[in-house]
Amino acid sequence: MKKLLAGPVPWLTPMLVLIFGVVLWPVFEMIRTSTLEISGSGKEKGFVGLENYRELFENSNLAGAFARTIFWVVVVVVITMLLSLFLAQLLNTEFPGRRYVRWALIVPWASSLIMTATSFRWMLDGYYGILNRVLLDLGLIDDAVEWLGSASTSFPWLIVVAIFVSLPFTTFVMIAGLQTIPGDLYEAARVDGARPVKTYFSITLPLLVTSISVATVINLINVFNQFPIIWVMTGGGPGYDTDTTTTLMYKLAFRSQEIGQSAALSVLNFAVILIFVYIYLRATGFTKQKQD
Amino acid sequence: MSKLGLKRNKTLTTGSLFAAAALILSGCAADSADDTSGATGGATGSDPVTIRVIAAQYTDEMRPYYDDLVTRFEASNPNITVDVQVISWTDIDQKLKTMVQTGDLPDIANLNYFSSFAEDDLLYTADELVPPEVLADIVPTFLSNSEYNGTAYAVPDLASARLFFYNKTILAEAGVAVEDLETWDGLEAAMLKIKAAMPDVVPLALPLGPEEAQAEFTIWASSNDGGVYADGDWTITSDKNVETMEYLSGLVSQGLTNPTPATCDRTKCAFALFAEGKAAMLNGAIFLPDILEEQESSVDYGFTNFPTNRADGTSITLGVQDYFFGFKKDWNQDAVQKFMAFIYEPDNYAGFLEAAGGFLPATVSAGEALSSDESLAPYVAVLPNAVFYPSSEALWPAVQGEMQQTIGKAVEPGADIMSVLEDIAARAE
Repeated sequence: MKKLLAGPVPWLTPMLVLIFGVVLWPVFEMIRTSTLEISGSGKEKGFVGLENYRELFENSNLAGAFARTIFWVVVVVVITMLLSLFLAQLLNTEFPGRRYVRWALIVPWASSLIMTATSFRWMLDGYYGILNRVLLDLGLIDDAVEWLGSASTSFPWLIVVAIFVSLPFTTFVMIAGLQTIPGDLYEAARVDGARPVKTYFSITLPLLVTSISVATVINLINVFNQFPIIWVMTGGGPGYDTDTTTTLMYKLAFRSQEIGQSAALSVLNFAVILIFVYIYLRATGFTKQKQD
Repeated sequence: MSKLGLKRNKTLTTGSLFAAAALILSGCAADSADDTSGATGGATGSDPVTIRVIAAQYTDEMRPYYDDLVTRFEASNPNITVDVQVISWTDIDQKLKTMVQTGDLPDIANLNYFSSFAEDDLLYTADELVPPEVLADIVPTFLSNSEYNGTAYAVPDLASARLFFYNKTILAEAGVAVEDLETWDGLEAAMLKIKAAMPDVVPLALPLGPEEAQAEFTIWASSNDGGVYADGDWTITSDKNVETMEYLSGLVSQGLTNPTPATCDRTKCAFALFAEGKAAMLNGAIFLPDILEEQESSVDYGFTNFPTNRADGTSITLGVQDYFFGFKKDWNQDAVQKFMAFIYEPDNYAGFLEAAGGFLPATVSAGEALSSDESLAPYVAVLPNAVFYPSSEALWPAVQGEMQQTIGKAVEPGADIMSVLEDIAARAE
């Protein structure tokens, strides 16, 4: 006992306190809340088991939000990955001023999401937006369009903005990945007479797999949890038409006054994140190292 | 999150129409002379206590107001310490709920609803909260809006009213007279004229976005003998409400409003369009002139009663009031009551109104003291016909939350109005 106290315990304690206090305890509270009935004033009315989950699944907005979330995550992440691969390749090539282009790429990453989303919100505004001005002046549209007025136009724009803010991080992961590929492999390929396309698919892409999978999983989590862009640009509206499960969770608690249902949905969201985290650990070889 | 009507304000000069308002509402009141027991003296309270007050930030003036108030209160009540937190409208609802959920109750709160707290049996009744002479001074209409299950659990702190605003220049150019706006039919005809004369102008700004959709709906529906609640029952799916939404939907489809009302919030969209002269008319409020002034709008505006489609041809207004309420604890009643009585002392209450800026007072005496501001006269004139939110219903916050999010969908092309209303009504079950 004395040995233990003098040894690892003092070193581990701060970490353990952090993990229990900041991670595990909130998770426990979240799960507990999802099994309680909570009145509109915030008062706990007692244990109701899975009643909140039943109500949540009967909520007519859940299915739509869930389907939209899947679409949102898949489309944003796939397009982000493809564009990043292209951009990384471009930025990995020597050309004059490359440094400045790399810097420019960081800007959307460095600025706050709220700021970016607010800028887009006003650019897309029907009355004051610069986009309408440009399109009208170019004669591409005849009447001003209320881009954020209905889901058919606002959801695609949300996706565009989400991709825009995801590109910098992803691209830099890809550039880092490209720089780990030894130059002599390309030299050997050239000697063997491989064409660029063949080189790309046989050498570059296979050696980028780790970078791609890490970037993909991190993006999955980020995009799934994305709140500010949607909240600032459309607030999930009109109605519930552009809600993902993340914004719906917020609206359930603070607009619909259904704190229990909201907690139930956050447990589901948490489960999805856990799955992503598991994939991430697999992708980064965490479990494999443990086996070694 | 959208807050209710009252948050927007600035400093409308200390109007005093208020008084008149109060008089009308109370039917020439002021029979408050019965001095029963006074909670003003140093009745009990020997042990030092600290009470916490969660106050709404009507303006930035609230903090200095409370600082001064508390200093003076503590000087005359050495055993009582008052800790006032002034919280923005965006956060106050969440803050209070969190406090309730964690059992860390404040002693006094200032908010735009109270009924869900009353339902959970957390509150003092109004006659436990303030001394009788204060209670007797409250404008009766406002006090009856503070009841839950027939008992008042809160006291109103102030109120506001709405009127219909128009751009004089646009109306003149389109050849529309203000008298044309008295009825819905007249309004629609006027809007068509405006659209014909000035195609770039939005005849009517219709903000059915989340910020204040419940206000917009209540005004239109009540102008058509509809509304959300009547005689002890929710009436969200009534024929009159459907008819109201059909009328509005008709306006939208004729291009007489902003194209997508469901995403048009009151402040950022409707008020902004009006301030820039891009919208000819809208449902405004007592605090809109301040906002126009703040935005340095050059619009020449006027205001009149809401266009009506009621059977008796009268015009309504929407009255919105906020509340003070006290949380029951076995040690705090004396301190809470003393502090509430102190706030409602005429000078202190006048200071409160001035800090909050541009609202109608909730007491008869303050109403009398402020009677002479002509710009407020029209609001006072319509107050007898004021419609209020059913804020004494514990389910109203949930109904309101749903309505804010979805009612705008009912005016989209091809929308199923009844199903939108039914989804909102489901929150009231």
